[in-house]
Amino acid sequence: MKRAAIAVVAAVGGFAGVLGFNLGGSRAPLLQGATGSNTGSNTGTNPGSSTGSNPPATSSSSSSSSSSSGSPSSPGSTTASGSGTPATGLRSALGNTYQYGYGQLAVRVTVNGSTITKVDTVGLQTAESYSQQIAQQVIPLLRHEVLAAQSARVNGFSGATYTSEAYLYSLQSALDKLHKK
Amino acid sequence: MTAKPPSAPPRPGGLLTLGPDGPAQAGAAPSAPRSPAPRPLLVDLAVAVVAVGFGLSVGLALTATSHSQLAAPGGPALFLGNLTGLAGTYLALVMVLLISRIPFVEQVLGQDTLLRWHRRLAPWPITLIIAHVIILTIGYAQAAHTGILHEIGPLVNGFPDMGIATAGFVLMVAISVASFYPIRRRIKRENWWALHLFMYLALALAFAHEIVLGPSFVGHPMTQLVWSVAWAASAGLVLAYRVGLPVVRSIRHGLVVEEIRPEGPGVVTVILRGRHLERLAVSGGQFFEWRFLARGMWWQAHPFSISARPQPPYLRLTVKCVGDFTTALAGLPAGTRVALEGPYGTFTAHALRTRKVALIAGGIGVTSVRSLLEDLPKGTRPVVVLRASSEEELVLREEIAELVKWHGGRLHEVVGPRTAQPIEHLAELIGDIKKRDTYVAGSESFVASVTRLLALLKVPQEAVHADVYAL
Repeated sequence: MKRAAIAVVAAVGGFAGVLGFNLGGSRAPLLQGATGSNTGSNTGTNPGSSTGSNPPATSSSSSSSSSSSGSPSSPGSTTASGSGTPATGLRSALGNTYQYGYGQLAVRVTVNGSTITKVDTVGLQTAESYSQQIAQQVIPLLRHEVLAAQSARVNGFSGATYTSEAYLYSLQSALDKLHKK
Repeated sequence: MTAKPPSAPPRPGGLLTLGPDGPAQAGAAPSAPRSPAPRPLLVDLAVAVVAVGFGLSVGLALTATSHSQLAAPGGPALFLGNLTGLAGTYLALVMVLLISRIPFVEQVLGQDTLLRWHRRLAPWPITLIIAHVIILTIGYAQAAHTGILHEIGPLVNGFPDMGIATAGFVLMVAISVASFYPIRRRIKRENWWALHLFMYLALALAFAHEIVLGPSFVGHPMTQLVWSVAWAASAGLVLAYRVGLPVVRSIRHGLVVEEIRPEGPGVVTVILRGRHLERLAVSGGQFFEWRFLARGMWWQAHPFSISARPQPPYLRLTVKCVGDFTTALAGLPAGTRVALEGPYGTFTAHALRTRKVALIAGGIGVTSVRSLLEDLPKGTRPVVVLRASSEEELVLREEIAELVKWHGGRLHEVVGPRTAQPIEHLAELIGDIKKRDTYVAGSESFVASVTRLLALLKVPQEAVHADVYAL
């Protein structure tokens, strides 16, 4: 009766309120930037950039440029991407896309000589928000570990086993393309 | 009787007439205040707030999903799973609120209405939550490119708080199965009730995974906060009104059994003595949930109407012995401590819409009619119909007769099996029933058949007030 009408109107109002609020843009959808953006290929590194383990912003974090602290990337060296180039200078390769638990990702690696200077994540896609959050938390940590160890042979993070495995597998496949051990 | 001022109703009922303050003073100041008048606007407001919350919950599910996610493997199922989870959990919260005994809601809607809504709503949250579990398992299996059964393990073990959420879900399903009527009627009321309490635990167990994993909450501290506050506030209301207030009232009044005396075949009157009863706001026709603090009984609360308004230091209830509990009640020694929760019920003079009243009581339904008679305003000229299958079962008839006489009303006693005394006869006795507010009290089937008859006679629904005794 009257109360049923109140309930219906109020529920519709609440529903419309959320949608309106969201369209207003104050609540940017979490995954907006994370879906299928393959823009992680800025191979021209800016040398001398400092610590690379700062976490990315919550949205659009599929690529993040970084280099290890104190990595000896020489200024002025030109980029040469792809395999088959000489074993000096900056080279980068894109690893295989790995399908893991609830998402997929690929890693682009940049080396200077035999030093890994930069690791980017490209094409990170997750099925749902929690996996996205986990990936966003763990990928900067993995990158930090990899740059420190100069290898894909680092421990994954518990609680993000699948993400870690996919990241490290893709990294290894990229390194293989560069004939790095 | 000669000393009694005409403006105050008499106070019949044996011991009750012996109260230290004697007959009520002129000006008809009652010995204890009546329960506050209902404020329906507040309830309308509460309904609106709760409904806005439901709209918000459904809306949140929509805003949490992007187009590309919907297009990904398992996307539609993950979206639907989130939607059913949010809607189902919110409705579960509404069910909790419906039985949280918030006084202003109880005063307007009454516990039987609230319980009816609670029961009517019940299939929805559990169905939605079961759908949430099934659909999300399918969705995650599609996303991970594995089988559905294969996906259960990773879902429960691989995500935080999913273990306890699964335990909560299993508990929830078990309790819901037990509440399914064909099964519920085979379980003893008090056992079922004790089991049902575990629903609070089940909901609490499920809470963490909502906040930590829910797409509408991950990375959204604001929605996390609002959701948490809503649940914490509801838990607070339940604790305050289902636990805190009853404990405080019980301690304040310190009721003990003064005397238990037989009233008729299988009917006893329990007279309690307590402190500060002049501060216990209760209207005639209301009931309390009583807890008799004796071995084997203290853990069950049972609803019984007061059969007279409090007359400090006494309070009285009249009970029909039908089960183990009520039979044990009749044998309780004097001095047994009694805790109470309430008062509840809208079967009061507050419900009056017209100037005149008809009261129809079947069997033990006479108790609430008896206390209500004390509260009726002067000039209501009540016509009272007492229905019983035998003369001895007409309990409290002298008290009723005295009160009816004082009100200048009429009393009809209808005795005999239902076949000999058809229900239609009751309405004929009253005559101008369409012009009266009709109060009906008795067993579920009695109240149902009388209200059906009143509907046939085109008595407006708002003028019919029912008090159902679940025997």
